[in-house]
Amino acid sequence: MSSVPLFALVGAGLFCIGLYALIVYAHLLRKILAINVMGSGVFLVLATLADRTVNAAPDPVPHAMIITGIVVAVATTAFALVLMLKVAEKTGRAELPDERTG
Amino acid sequence: MDRLTLVLWIFDSVTGLGLLLLAGWALASPQLFRGIILFVAFSLMMSIAWVRIDAPDVALAEIAIGAGLTGALLLAALSRLGDSEPTQESMNRPIERSYRARTFRSLTASLLAAVAVALVFLILALPGDSEGLGAEVAASLDASGVSSPVTAVLLNFRGYDTLLELLVLLLALLGVWSLGGLPAQPVSPAVLVLDTLARILIPVLLLSSAYLLWAGTHAPGGAFQAGAVLGAAGVLLSLAGWQVRQRYTGVTLRLLLIAGPSLFLAFALYTIVAGQSLLEYPPQRAGVMIVLLEVAATLSIGTTLAALFVAEGPRNKEGQ
Amino acid sequence: MEALAATVSWDACLIVLPLLGAIACFAWPNAAKKLALGTALAVLVSIASLTIRVTAAGAFRHAVGAWGAPLGIELLVDGLSLVMLSATAIVGLAITIYSAGYFKADVSSRFWPLWLFLWASLNALFLSSDIFNLYVALELTGLAAVTLTALAGSADALTAAARYLLVSLLGSLTYLLGVALVYHGFGSVDMAVLAGRVESTPVFWAAFSLMFVGLALKTALFPFHFWLPPAHASAPAPVSAALSGLVIKASFYILMRLWFEIVPADYSTFTNFLGVLGAAAVVWGGLQALRAKRLKLLIAYSTIMQVGYLFLAFPLAVAAAWRGALYLILSHALAKSAMFLAAGNILYCAGHDRIESLDRIAQRLPMSLAAFAVAGVSIMGLPPSGGFIAKWLMVEAALKSGQWWWAVTLVLGSLFAAAYVFKVVGYAFTQAEAPHTSIDVPAAMEWAALALAVAAVLMGLIAPWILASMEIGRAFPGAAIP
Repeated sequence: MSSVPLFALVGAGLFCIGLYALIVYAHLLRKILAINVMGSGVFLVLATLADRTVNAAPDPVPHAMIITGIVVAVATTAFALVLMLKVAEKTGRAELPDERTG
Repeated sequence: MDRLTLVLWIFDSVTGLGLLLLAGWALASPQLFRGIILFVAFSLMMSIAWVRIDAPDVALAEIAIGAGLTGALLLAALSRLGDSEPTQESMNRPIERSYRARTFRSLTASLLAAVAVALVFLILALPGDSEGLGAEVAASLDASGVSSPVTAVLLNFRGYDTLLELLVLLLALLGVWSLGGLPAQPVSPAVLVLDTLARILIPVLLLSSAYLLWAGTHAPGGAFQAGAVLGAAGVLLSLAGWQVRQRYTGVTLRLLLIAGPSLFLAFALYTIVAGQSLLEYPPQRAGVMIVLLEVAATLSIGTTLAALFVAEGPRNKEGQ
Repeated sequence: MEALAATVSWDACLIVLPLLGAIACFAWPNAAKKLALGTALAVLVSIASLTIRVTAAGAFRHAVGAWGAPLGIELLVDGLSLVMLSATAIVGLAITIYSAGYFKADVSSRFWPLWLFLWASLNALFLSSDIFNLYVALELTGLAAVTLTALAGSADALTAAARYLLVSLLGSLTYLLGVALVYHGFGSVDMAVLAGRVESTPVFWAAFSLMFVGLALKTALFPFHFWLPPAHASAPAPVSAALSGLVIKASFYILMRLWFEIVPADYSTFTNFLGVLGAAAVVWGGLQALRAKRLKLLIAYSTIMQVGYLFLAFPLAVAAAWRGALYLILSHALAKSAMFLAAGNILYCAGHDRIESLDRIAQRLPMSLAAFAVAGVSIMGLPPSGGFIAKWLMVEAALKSGQWWWAVTLVLGSLFAAAYVFKVVGYAFTQAEAPHTSIDVPAAMEWAALALAVAAVLMGLIAPWILASMEIGRAFPGAAIP
């Protein structure tokens, strides 16, 4: 059996783990990490299934899409981190207000 | 099942399990610093997974961008946060420890577990014979001007996506600058180790970047990986305490940042005026044009990534 | 010159020109304002030429890179995209003129490239027929919208922007997971190709659900609306106008496209569920708008209500209801941005937007108050406004298809809207105890708001022409009402 679908399943798991952390943790840096983990999960689902056909070169289209996605992710992460620092500077905490009080 | 397949299967299972554990550990780690280090480890393990699923281009991008640059960005942000954030303790706790919060957390967890199970069943139910677009790419590869299928997709077949993606990168930097940038990091006294490391590594990084760019036309690599390595060189320089001289942070910096997107857009405009399809390459010159676009894109990607790391905002007055 | 006009692909101009404008504004910050105004005019010429071409020759597809689907990306220009592009162009022009007076010099040079990026990404989104390309366009739109929100710089605006960014990223990732499943299930990301291949399998419905949830988050459908009021209320006024008028419509537009093009059949349980969410949004948005103490917050809650109307078209499921929904998108884009621009004038003049202290604003800013009230006519759905045509179509669809309860929701919404619009107008004529200082508002800012409001009302008068344009290249799904 090909081990390939395995990583798609891992991808689904990563998506859900990331989503849980995004909802549950208050700190913005942790939320940004969570978004990145979710992204990796989506990319794994996108790529893994491209490799299902036996004895053929893998489909390059999802690979190109993932490279696009990785670049988009680093760009948004960089912006999100600076935004977090600005929020911390203005409010004194790197958290979103209503989540602090519950 | 022969022995090799079995070994690989075990290897993949361990990698997959490792990914899940590292991700969970990174996100739940009580200290943010440790969480980031674990996240970098997670990204490195992701690149192993990419190699295992025959995606070497993605593996390169993951190491350079996912593990390297994202890790550096996260650590830099954390150290800056430390300066303005005396109450480290409160940052690590989940939202609240009350009964209500705990109920909310377990509800969320069970809901997401259900989603995960549903996704697993769906993925297993996907048709096994879906061809994707591999055959179409192979059939048109000769006309694309390059021989690496991934580069052909990125720069030619779906070049329009790549144009928009370059703009996302530029937009992120504009966003950082429009927030007013961050105060310059205090110039640390030159750390000998870092300085020596930079002297050795910078030439290596520049060479790797050039190699990745050149290789991209026929092998794994290309503008994004090359640009990421170039950006890493910039990050290292900035860590080693190098300062870019004032006169280069104005127009020169701006030109480097917009070189890639501008060349792409100029090409787009040419095809519009000439009455062709948007971003349609002339078949004979596609190869040369793709190399030109990739060189410009690499410069812009590298500069933008480094500028995102420095995040100081333009120093000249007009760019406020 | 005429030969050039005939061969130029105006659809591509709508994407490339504002992008070039954005980069030019970034490269020459000192000339940014002039460059942006020039770009806005160029976009206007492009959309006018495109409209003429499509009205004469019908809908068409544009194969980017001349590859064609499924290998390449295709753009699609039909009545639906034309309506969205035109709304964006009209609102965009007004926002551009308004912003030329609104922003102080230091913020101004930061605003222009971001704003042109947003405009370009909206155009790119409305033209794309490729669900992965739509993901990239969504990210570009979301990032531009967040950077513009944060431009206000206050603690409120920055926290709202951070929340908006996280929601936006979560929405696009969820959408992308759906795209991944669609690609692996059916081997393409082009909508037209998918239309021929998609079957009603569990995989498709799971993928569609993921895409739906991601897009509903970005559209701020109840109960995913929590991020919208703080973001729309704390952004600079012209940005709020763009966010409420255009940006949330972008994700709804994708949803509508997917529904029309590739979703195999209607499932009444699902569509009724959407209708219930829409009705909940109408009631919740209306109540919160009535309770709001600040003008911009009131307008933001009104947007949540209007999003609710859009989702009523799913259970109504007849062509007339979709026409109504699209008409509502158009008229709401004009009316809501007019309201936000007028609110911006009030803030600019009085320095605050507390509704109870809007003393005699009617005397100081008669044109802006008129803009608010006239836009209110369309938001309430009174004749002859665009909002009236939209609601008329939807109410008629509800009654004729025997689903009177959705008609009740629509009428209830109008009552809410009337209540909160009159609340504002009432306070504007009330004299407060202490007189306030005020700053003069540039004339162009007042005119921009009023022009949009008047356009929203006049839209009702050219209904036949707009309704005909909507259906170029495709008929809306669902039975025609006899």
